[in-house]
Amino acid sequence: MSGLGLVLSIAKDAVAAQQYGLDVVGHNIANVNTPGYSRQRAVHEAKEPAPYGGVLLGRGVDTTQVVRATDQFIENQLMEQKSSMFSFKEMENYMQVLEGLFNENSDSSISALMADFWNTWHDVAINPSGGSERVALYEHSVLLSDQFKALNTDLIQLETDLTNAISAGINRINEITNEIAQINNNIVGMEVTSTANDLRDQRNVLVSELSEYTDIKTFEQSNGSLTVVAAKGTILVHGNDSYDLALGGDDGRRVEWQGSGGATVDLTDYISNGKLGGWLDMREEVIAKYKKDLDALVKEFVWTVNQQHSQGVGLEGFSSVTGTYQASSTSAALDSSGLGFASEIIDGGFRLWLYDSNGDYDSDTTLTIDASVTSIDDIVTAIDAIDPNITATTIDGKIQISASNGYTFAFSDDTSNVLAALGINTFFAGTTAGSIEVNDKIDSNKNYITAAQVINNVGPAVANSSNDPTGTGTIVTSGHYTGTADATYEIQISTGGAVGVAQFQWRKDGGAWSAPILTTGGAQAIDVDGVSVTFMPGTYVANDTFTIDVTADSAFYGTYASGDNTNAMAIADLQYTAMDIAQWTCDRRNGDTEGSVNATIEDYYHAMVGSMGIKSASISRGRAFGEVMVNKMGEIRDSISAVSLDEEMTNLIKFQHAYAAAAKLIRISDEMLNTLLSVK
Amino acid sequence: MRVANKTIYEAITFNLGNITEDLSHANKVVATGKRIINLSDDPTGLTQGLHIKSSLSNIEQLGRNITLGKSWLRASESALTNVQDMISDTKSLCVQMATATMSAAARASAAQAVQNTLEEIVSLANTEVSGRYIFAGSKTDTAPFSQDGTYNGDNNAFTVKIGRDATVEVGSDGEAVFQPSGAGANDDIFQTLSDLKTALENNDVSGIQDAISKLDAHLDHISEKISDIGSKMVRTEIKENLLQDMSLTNTERFSNIEDADITEAIMDLKAKELAYQAALTAAAKVLNISLVDYLK
Repeated sequence: MSGLGLVLSIAKDAVAAQQYGLDVVGHNIANVNTPGYSRQRAVHEAKEPAPYGGVLLGRGVDTTQVVRATDQFIENQLMEQKSSMFSFKEMENYMQVLEGLFNENSDSSISALMADFWNTWHDVAINPSGGSERVALYEHSVLLSDQFKALNTDLIQLETDLTNAISAGINRINEITNEIAQINNNIVGMEVTSTANDLRDQRNVLVSELSEYTDIKTFEQSNGSLTVVAAKGTILVHGNDSYDLALGGDDGRRVEWQGSGGATVDLTDYISNGKLGGWLDMREEVIAKYKKDLDALVKEFVWTVNQQHSQGVGLEGFSSVTGTYQASSTSAALDSSGLGFASEIIDGGFRLWLYDSNGDYDSDTTLTIDASVTSIDDIVTAIDAIDPNITATTIDGKIQISASNGYTFAFSDDTSNVLAALGINTFFAGTTAGSIEVNDKIDSNKNYITAAQVINNVGPAVANSSNDPTGTGTIVTSGHYTGTADATYEIQISTGGAVGVAQFQWRKDGGAWSAPILTTGGAQAIDVDGVSVTFMPGTYVANDTFTIDVTADSAFYGTYASGDNTNAMAIADLQYTAMDIAQWTCDRRNGDTEGSVNATIEDYYHAMVGSMGIKSASISRGRAFGEVMVNKMGEIRDSISAVSLDEEMTNLIKFQHAYAAAAKLIRISDEMLNTLLSVK
Repeated sequence: MRVANKTIYEAITFNLGNITEDLSHANKVVATGKRIINLSDDPTGLTQGLHIKSSLSNIEQLGRNITLGKSWLRASESALTNVQDMISDTKSLCVQMATATMSAAARASAAQAVQNTLEEIVSLANTEVSGRYIFAGSKTDTAPFSQDGTYNGDNNAFTVKIGRDATVEVGSDGEAVFQPSGAGANDDIFQTLSDLKTALENNDVSGIQDAISKLDAHLDHISEKISDIGSKMVRTEIKENLLQDMSLTNTERFSNIEDADITEAIMDLKAKELAYQAALTAAAKVLNISLVDYLK
């Protein structure tokens, strides 16, 4: 075809093409503020020329397609950055709550209360008989243990909040994946003929929102549908099918992928990014760590204070006392009795002092403890055998000791830690931040706060450390030294072996060694002055030596004085004592590992708060960096895909002018046709 | 690079957001006067601050211990100084009474004076500081000496903590002070005085002379105890000065760590304010320009 018909046809197509162009410009302008919208462009192509009269003549313009200006690579990058940024953002939010809980700028902070706790012990030490000092100590201890409990409750609440957030997040993820599956279905239907630009934009918005929740990978199938894969390769969307996430597991806190046919995959440890990743990191790693650390701190604190407290005596002896710690079995050996601090019990012994109804010293007994043999029932039997005025029993796995006929009793020289482990003569009860409280016994009578120690003139047997490596056997001392001058006994193992085989010799104040004596099971007197020793089961190595310091006998043996502050000072000193305290590292992928640091209670707590600050600061930096990256990637994405009104206005004019020109072409061809028709 | 309208709007929102955050932080610093508002503002500084805070609290407590210790030492010193004076007076009295010219009547009336001294010394040995007996060892709630010189306290002197690793005995084992070898022994002050009293009553010159040498020994012993207390006092005071110095330096260090430099904080706030205003002005300008305005 040629001639005027061709011109007219070209003009008609040109008008249409410019109009399409204007349509697209209009669509772009209209969507300038639509999130996720990619600007579109009408693609104009010259029509295939046709030969006419030996030449190829162009046949005008054709609008072949409308394309989106988009770069999938950049979109994916942006998605990844967003995913990581949102993870930090959520962690930062919760970190701020956590920091608030450990706020140190107040008088009720743990470190302030801890300082008060030690100070009130000092106050008791400078006035051991003072009632008001004892009450103040009690009140401060209650405040401190309440604060530990409150922190623990707050941490648990934070965990619950996070689980709720995770649950809500999962619901939103399920909604999104469902919608993506539907859009996939529509796109596949529509793209038989042309690209479904706006549906793809919609789908991109959803995918982008999904990536805010969790880390995902997407693959486009040849038919235009998008496959979305989450952590551990689980498929969230494939074609028009979507698979849900749900909370499950034993505690209902695990994130599980719900496959077809009821199969589930636990993703909790594998979701690393997005809000979900942030929440899980926060709950499983950050809060879990501080919760465990707080428990470790409280456990060590309770133990150390109790251990020293159980060595002392209050202003009055006990008439009845019940252990605060419950054993799962009273007939099992102490180290497997199920007591909270069973692992702390070692071979050794303790002294039980009995006082008559006038409060005067009646008798004292050393009870030996073999951690792997002696049971709570054995202790009960041993106490029952002491005197008719003192009896022991067990109630619900707790030991109870009672004296009758106005008799009272006290404890001292516990080298086996068994008193503190049973919760007898202790200051605190409980083993964790959630369970710590002041012992009921002290609650009922502040006179049981042990500032003093019973006067005992036979010291414990101290193994000579220069003889390392030594055997496993330990020696427990007992008896009442009646000598009139301070002295030192030395015990040397002359023949090694187990008790019954091993032989020992002794000397006093560097005098002549005695003849070798065979070790036996019970207490063995080593001198006429009343000192006895018990060789605990174990092996003894020849040449191992033990020393026992004894002090001159006085009328005060077995008594305790209201003005004695020995034990209170020893407890106040614990604030300076470094001890091994467990420190946790929580990692979802690699599991929780327990380490240990050597620090004082306060230093440990300070370091814990410090590490929280460091963690928080690094999360904030991560968030700020993530935001900058998202911004940068967003700028790049927008420079490709977003609408610039200036550009659209220019295009508007461009198409308007082309439209006018094409219209003119129609008029010209009309005139030409008229001219031709008017030829007479 | 193509700059889309969205980019401009988002950049403005993002930047204004950042500047407002800075502004709010700078404002908080000025308002609270503290440099560290959240744990994360300076975790290392915070940890140091916590250490200092707890040592300050400890120093304060040790200061209280020392105050109590000093009051005990001062009371002991003044009680023993009085005892020393009285023994010394009694000795002069003895010297006077030992002269052959003294009448039995004069000696009998001197016996009354000695009895008074004895009662006075027993009461000094029972000195209390805020209701607690300072010469009773650790039995601080029991009067250590009966009128007949029996000791009811124990042998563990009351001790207070004046430093991390330092303790000082501020109370005394009264037995060691007044009757080191036990009641009735030669070095028992009460026994000496009551013997002296009997000797005076009985006009027994050799008994009186006997007392003079004993009183000399007592004087030596008591002045030894006084100088012992004096040296403890000095030790305690040195410790107290040391603690005061530590308290000062620690307070200063704590303030350096925790407190904001107000001038700096206000300058910072002003700078942030200025930046915020500039950003707002720039945003207002950019937002108003569009090609649309120029197409008529």
